[in-house]
Amino acid sequence: MADQIVPLLSLSQAKALVAHLEANEIIAANEIVEQASDISISEGQVFEKVGELTRELHDALVSFQNDTRLIDMAGHDIPDAKLRLNYVIEMTDKAANKTMDAVDNCLPIADKLIADLDAVKPSWQGLMNRELALGDFKKLCHQIDGLIEESSSSAINLRTSLTDILMAQDFQDLTGQMIRRVIDLVQEIELKLVGILTVCSSEENAEIKKETACIDNNIKAEGPIIDAESRDDVVNGQDDVDDLLSSLGF
Amino acid sequence: MKVLIVDDFSTMRRIIKNLLRDLGFTNTFEADDGNTALPMLKDGGFDFVVTDWNMPIMQGIDLLKEIRKDPKLKHLPVLMVTAEAKREQIIEAAQAGVNGYIVKPFTAGTLKEKLDKVFERLG
Repeated sequence: MADQIVPLLSLSQAKALVAHLEANEIIAANEIVEQASDISISEGQVFEKVGELTRELHDALVSFQNDTRLIDMAGHDIPDAKLRLNYVIEMTDKAANKTMDAVDNCLPIADKLIADLDAVKPSWQGLMNRELALGDFKKLCHQIDGLIEESSSSAINLRTSLTDILMAQDFQDLTGQMIRRVIDLVQEIELKLVGILTVCSSEENAEIKKETACIDNNIKAEGPIIDAESRDDVVNGQDDVDDLLSSLGF
Repeated sequence: MKVLIVDDFSTMRRIIKNLLRDLGFTNTFEADDGNTALPMLKDGGFDFVVTDWNMPIMQGIDLLKEIRKDPKLKHLPVLMVTAEAKREQIIEAAQAGVNGYIVKPFTAGTLKEKLDKVFERLG
């Protein structure tokens, strides 16, 4: 099609041109020539632009077809990211439970220690005030002996639990790495999507879609707010909640 | 006092359960969303509900509305413990008849304070 030769001047235009020249109407004749060259230039520009866009579209489609990265992402990386995120939930769950198990183990030890000390205290105070009978003194000695024995095993027990709590925090490092990988993938997908958007849809459409997405979000539950300080539609902590509720008459 | 804790994360349920135990509420039960909670509440015997907002199937706000609609349950005190922090959500919860609203992350002190307030108002 591009090779087909199109006359710059139509037959009727040529005849009119000859007529004008024969009648010595130079201005009218020049107008016909200018008009014809104008049209040919603008048509040429349109063809060029269409050609350019077609080439771009073709290249983009070919590059999408040949982009094995996209296939990799859809078939492997995204399911992999899902697994990773599920693993993060599992790990944080395990860490939280491990920590709470250790705390559950520690609390009764602390309670028993308090109770044992309270039991010894009256006799001990009696001894300090030199008001303790010999029989009671012997009893106190046995009590304290028992307390020492038990405290030392309790302390070892506490130490083990505290170490467990410490060790349970390793999830932060591991889940952090996983989440970082998923963030990288999301960024890559974002770039690819922007590429598809610029080829397939006009900028206006993209803007409109973005806006409607925002409106939808407003009604839905949003989960933890990570940018509370820069937003004025959310509260910033419990004090704000209390203020808001009391302003509503709570 | 029989308390129902509704949250889709078992860790959070356990934290709330432990905190409530320390505050003297030892008779606690758990549900993982509104849809599981509602039949348990309808079976009766519960005196208090602590619920999250964002849960699958039935969200906490819908559970609250269902409770207020039910003639047998409508007087049940409901405390919301949630990460949802938008003003319009807090207003919606207040209008739906919530008895207290705590945003996560929260402290044991906040939970105690809000519980005291809820029961003080109920008399």
